[in-house]
Amino acid sequence: MAQLARAGDESAFAEIVRRYSPRVFRFASKFFRQRSVVEEAAQEVFMKAFTQLGSFEGRGSMEGWLTRITTNTCLNMLRSAKRRPELASADLSDDESTWLENQLSEVAAERHRSSERSFVAADLADRVLENLSSDDRVVLTLIDGEDASVKEVAELTGWSESKVKVQAFRARRRMRAAVEKLLGKQLPPAVAGR
Amino acid sequence: MKENHIIDLLENRSFASLNEGERAAIQAHAANCLSCARAYEATRVASSLLRARASETVEPSPFFHTRVMAALRERQNEVPAFKRLWQSAGALVSSMTATVALLAVFSFIIPGTQTAGTAQASASNGYSAEEVILNQNDLQDEQASDAQVLTTLYSADDSGTR
Repeated sequence: MAQLARAGDESAFAEIVRRYSPRVFRFASKFFRQRSVVEEAAQEVFMKAFTQLGSFEGRGSMEGWLTRITTNTCLNMLRSAKRRPELASADLSDDESTWLENQLSEVAAERHRSSERSFVAADLADRVLENLSSDDRVVLTLIDGEDASVKEVAELTGWSESKVKVQAFRARRRMRAAVEKLLGKQLPPAVAGR
Repeated sequence: MKENHIIDLLENRSFASLNEGERAAIQAHAANCLSCARAYEATRVASSLLRARASETVEPSPFFHTRVMAALRERQNEVPAFKRLWQSAGALVSSMTATVALLAVFSFIIPGTQTAGTAQASASNGYSAEEVILNQNDLQDEQASDAQVLTTLYSADDSGTR
């Protein structure tokens, strides 16, 4: 199919888009929540894929090749987006504050299974991630959110494994500091006694 | 377990990758260390947030591939930027040439025609500006003769009525 598309067969490329767009969408939506932005990223991925079809040698899978293009496209989009100012606990909505409070309570694990709660959490996660750099976001999303290995992230981003490790280490520190600030007084000395 | 070791452990690996033994050791240390307890709780919450975020996905609309193919055709049909620049530069050059030609016509040809026309008009009237200025004596003569005519006419009238 890639060979046909490379030879200029438009229907072959349309088939590639049809077949791989769910995968590209799912991957791009790890970095963006708004449907319009995810769609913009996915469209850009296929545009790049069409122009770079010549560089696809067919050794690896088409899915892997498209995932690498998706990662780089999303990374570039994140880099061009402005970072939000630091999120303070005063900026949290009632739902978000409740979610954080519940996280610290004993029954948190049971309570947070509902989709409504996870929607609030995803929203809050997005707001926290918006304060971090694009590189921090990528490593945290892929390694801590998606359980990707350091090697996989290195392959996707084109970074060295040591760079991924260092980036992840620093990103976790910054994410933890941001969350600690949000939890603020909700992190009582009582926690220490648990 | 030293405080630093706990924080290093939390920062070196994802929270989800910590095994039960490692978590138990961290919790045991955190029970007696407030700053490590805070770090542990914040890391746990951060991990929950990232996992909640990762669980959200967007699926493509049924028309997505049609849109991509349309955008692709549009991009292929787009005139290259250099060609567009050349076309607009060509239009600019031709409009500038036309302006220069018009200016040349107004500056050299039309004023020449106007001079010739003025000379012709002066010739047909029998007067020119120079003639009017230079022959002011003739004008005075003409005015004097008109006065004489009027005097003659009025005197004729007077003599008729009497």
